[in-house]
Amino acid sequence: MVRERYLGNLEKLKQNVITMGHLSMQMIDDAQVTLDKVDKELADKIIQADERVDNYEYEIEKCSADLLALQQPMAKDLRLIITSYKIAIDLERMSDMAVDIAKIVKNMDDDVVFTYSDLDNIFILCREMVANTIKAYEDGNVELARKTAESDDIVDQKFYKGWDSLVRMMISSSAIIPNATDLMFVLRYLERIADHTCNICESIIYMQTGERIDLN
Amino acid sequence: MSEMGSVDDIKVEDLNLWYGEKQALYNVSMKIPKNSVTALIGPSGCGKSTFLRCINRMNDLIKGCRIEGKIHIDNKNIYDRDVDVVELRKNVGMVFQKPNPFPMSIYDNIAYGPKIHNVKKNEIAPIVEEALKGAALWKEVSDRMDTSALDLSGGQQQRLCIARTMAVKPEIILFDEPCSALDPISTNKIEDLILELKKDYTIVIVTHNMQQAARISDYTAYFLLGELIEFGETKQIFENPQEKSTEDYITGRFG
Repeated sequence: MVRERYLGNLEKLKQNVITMGHLSMQMIDDAQVTLDKVDKELADKIIQADERVDNYEYEIEKCSADLLALQQPMAKDLRLIITSYKIAIDLERMSDMAVDIAKIVKNMDDDVVFTYSDLDNIFILCREMVANTIKAYEDGNVELARKTAESDDIVDQKFYKGWDSLVRMMISSSAIIPNATDLMFVLRYLERIADHTCNICESIIYMQTGERIDLN
Repeated sequence: MSEMGSVDDIKVEDLNLWYGEKQALYNVSMKIPKNSVTALIGPSGCGKSTFLRCINRMNDLIKGCRIEGKIHIDNKNIYDRDVDVVELRKNVGMVFQKPNPFPMSIYDNIAYGPKIHNVKKNEIAPIVEEALKGAALWKEVSDRMDTSALDLSGGQQQRLCIARTMAVKPEIILFDEPCSALDPISTNKIEDLILELKKDYTIVIVTHNMQQAARISDYTAYFLLGELIEFGETKQIFENPQEKSTEDYITGRFG
């Protein structure tokens, strides 16, 4: 095989993105648990994990820049590098959302715990989107990327519905306002996670086909 | 970048070429637009230089070389019997891999072409100046026109050869790996010059340097084993080629 080192570095770049993706997914999973159980220790762990995510983003950026500067990649290799770098940025933002949820939990009162019933479903939906996105990137699966992005509409609908419900609940009981406001932020963060997932799906389709499409 | 489908300068139809029994080009067809730079790329022995030499009938000089098909320049098939090959090569200039100045003064190198094409003596000096200016060499040599062209550096010699080609006022200039014997600075100068020249000329360039092809050409043709595999806008060829073989070559999977 020609250019073994080059191909090895491309593969390393790809593996870094996949590992970073799994780390972000774990943080979103943990965010769900920490919120559900008001587990402040777990919230701390999520906040600490952010540094690892940042390191991955830095590593991917550096690896991409090295490949571009030293190897003059073309065609699908060039698209893989551009895409991987963009995905790393989206993953970093998604992890920030998980950190923001953890920070909300850290500031929550232990005794006043109020939940919104559909929140778990939105978490599950977002988590599934993230998992499928990483899989689609790993396998270069355009169909899976396309299909995954379709779930964004469902997340959006649930977000708006949840937002309305929480507003109504707050009107009827002012006591829940602090908690419900927190949950509104959580809803917003989850909706943003789904948006970032869509961006990644667009990137994957570009990586595989060279076509730029808008899935949002 | 020129738009695909603008006025075609060179139209190649079903070009086949044999060196004796061995076929070197297979059914090559393409349209090269006017005032554009077209790069021919592909691994050694793929036929790109052979193809380039077809455009000004340089292969006619090779014994046992047989050509079928047509190349239209300005709507005239250059392989028609009534074509004056000397006139054709005046219209389609060529610059080679290794700079090949004549062993004479800088001035005489450039004046040579106009002289043999019977340009009046008093009209030659302005042509020499114009050609040297066009090839971005005038400032460097205007005070030593009588010195031997062989005293110039490699990069200057190559620009001298480009000026010599321009002096007979061609429409098309063919470049056969013009920078492969030059250092990076001289290469930059030639590349800048080629980009400048396309305003007035149609340029076809054979290059082994894919980054060079990507940098300076509007269109790229990829050859393999005598066949034209893919032809398209350079951006598309280097970002999203349609053929796997093109992809494999430009990403260094083979070749």
